[in-house]
Amino acid sequence: MKQVVSILLVLAVGFFIFSALYFPNQGDSAFDSYGEVDLDERVSSSFIDKNVTGENDEVVFGESANLEDGSANYVTSVIVNYRSFDTLGEVTVLFISAFGVGLLLSGRRKKQAFAHQPNFILKYGARLVFGIMVIFGVYMFSHGHLAPGGGFPGGAIIAAALLLLYLADNDFRAKMKAFKVTEGIAGSIYVILGLLAIVIGGYFLMNFLPTGIVGTIFSAGLIPIIYVLIGLKVGSEIAGIVDSFLTVEVEK
Amino acid sequence: MIITSYILMIIGAIFLALGGFGVFRMPDVYNRIQAGTKATTLGAFALILGVGFAEPSWFLKIALIIVFIAITNPVGSSTLARAAYKSGVSATLLQKQKEGEDK
Repeated sequence: MKQVVSILLVLAVGFFIFSALYFPNQGDSAFDSYGEVDLDERVSSSFIDKNVTGENDEVVFGESANLEDGSANYVTSVIVNYRSFDTLGEVTVLFISAFGVGLLLSGRRKKQAFAHQPNFILKYGARLVFGIMVIFGVYMFSHGHLAPGGGFPGGAIIAAALLLLYLADNDFRAKMKAFKVTEGIAGSIYVILGLLAIVIGGYFLMNFLPTGIVGTIFSAGLIPIIYVLIGLKVGSEIAGIVDSFLTVEVEK
Repeated sequence: MIITSYILMIIGAIFLALGGFGVFRMPDVYNRIQAGTKATTLGAFALILGVGFAEPSWFLKIALIIVFIAITNPVGSSTLARAAYKSGVSATLLQKQKEGEDK
């Protein structure tokens, strides 16, 4: 039964993809033929018409205000503003891989025991370093629109801080439920912001907040908010993977 | 201000170079660990403080980096030394080997 249903699903999806790609002139197809697209209706035309010598003024760090994007870091302005939908997909890919690991390594689990007990110096030194690492991770994802870095490395740094505590302390085990709740809330706020942008601006994940002055921390509109959300989400996902890999199943 | 920073950077570079030389030259694990920790901790402190004097607006970040190094470097090397001791590396191992070669 399962096989029949899955084969039917594959056939249905394949039929839609095939009909959309190879019968473009029948009715309202999603894809136009090459050269027949009216570019004035597309978002891309405004980017194609842009140039470096024309109407765009010079951007001065710390002075220019109310720009189109407002992010001092070009990469961030592409990742979280122009291609924010793509980033939502990336975060979803990461979520699915973390979900798969959690599904495979589920059940009641306990901490894997090490051959040697870590001593006092390592235990408390790791706790001190943990604080600095979390501060650095938060700094990284809250300054993603000003400097290189951003949500993904910031979240990875926070997860690495947790990994440090897992490795340095034999009895330490984080409460995974809090991470799962954080991850879910951050991901849903991301989608909710995108839907809110449809209501306010007209398209998904539009940067509808005022962009402010380039180079200050409260600038670039929606970008820092989304990057903080991505940082929290990525950090809690990788922390979940770390927890799954460093624990063993409890045998009854 | 800039002269102070240059002097500090030169001191830091010299200590880092001495630390590297010590790691290369010392006879066994424990001596190498102490050469690679003490000298490089002071060297990194001086170098980073020199950068801080050259660019005073970075001083807060530099203080955080110094705290980080002050914690991680000693803890890391003490853990390395403990691991070496637990896995049975003798402090006089190389010396004994040399004596054995001489006979």
